[in-house]
Amino acid sequence: MPRVLMGLKKILADKQTWVGLGLIFGLSLVGGLVSHPGLVRRFLAGEFRQAFILKEDFPQVVFISLPEAEAAWSERQAVFIDSRSLEAYHRGHIPGAISVPLEDVKSGREDLLAVIPEAVEIIIYCEGGDCQASLNLARWLESRGFKNLRVFSGGWAEWTQAGLPVEANAAK
Amino acid sequence: MLQNRKLLIIFRLIVGGVFIWAGISKIADPLSFAQNVRNYQLVGPALSFLTAIFLPWVELIAGVWLILGIYPKSSALLISCLLLFFIVLVLITMARGLDVDCGCFGTFSRRADWRLIAEDSLWLALSLALLFSPANDFSLFRKKLSKT
Repeated sequence: MPRVLMGLKKILADKQTWVGLGLIFGLSLVGGLVSHPGLVRRFLAGEFRQAFILKEDFPQVVFISLPEAEAAWSERQAVFIDSRSLEAYHRGHIPGAISVPLEDVKSGREDLLAVIPEAVEIIIYCEGGDCQASLNLARWLESRGFKNLRVFSGGWAEWTQAGLPVEANAAK
Repeated sequence: MLQNRKLLIIFRLIVGGVFIWAGISKIADPLSFAQNVRNYQLVGPALSFLTAIFLPWVELIAGVWLILGIYPKSSALLISCLLLFFIVLVLITMARGLDVDCGCFGTFSRRADWRLIAEDSLWLALSLALLFSPANDFSLFRKKLSKT
């Protein structure tokens, strides 16, 4: 172990090590900027702050806010999909929501998609905050031909914080 | 310390090859990789995007340089640090109960789990052997220079 530490000390003390690292980082920066100038431009223009999808690739996926989700729910205009785990769904969910856990779908349970009615607005949510399951499920659904997909990114957290109705332990 | 030069060259081909493949597969689809980074829920969207633009090139260049022997200590050090970071990242992710794709090889990625940690640990062991072995001195670059 002391020999390894001595060796590491020697490597770190060598100026060439740092020159090499600097060159790798510098070239990587150039490589990244040159290989995807279009994406970098769109990023600088404010895109990719909500999701890393090209709008033209996923035209059916639209992000909605809490008031829009609430309006659609109270007017019964949409089907709500809970993309969290089944346990989380049983603990509590938006009333009327159908449980389609992303993880189960990814593990091959595509039969779960059969319960989603087509040709209506589909609002998908997950935990809220940083959760990505709703968006990932929306991408999955779009690739399977589903339309009118809405991602309610505020999710369960925003819904409950707003004091909106919830339902628990109900079967889907 | 390993003294067998042929074995060290094989190590370089393996570790360098893994990093070249990892880099290229992500460069091909940066937005998917950005989503993978975001799925770990450690950094925000902007940093996820910048990581997805920058990191694959670091992996690619470090992998190529490790094989060719261009600044071999720098590339071995960088690759070792990256692997150590990936192992810690997967451990943290598992401890947080997140079930995510590792994002390691673009569309060929799989779950961030114990198998992945074992795999990364193997690459790390090879990479450390390369970093600390004085016999790891083969360099296409230097040979060319000495011939001229």
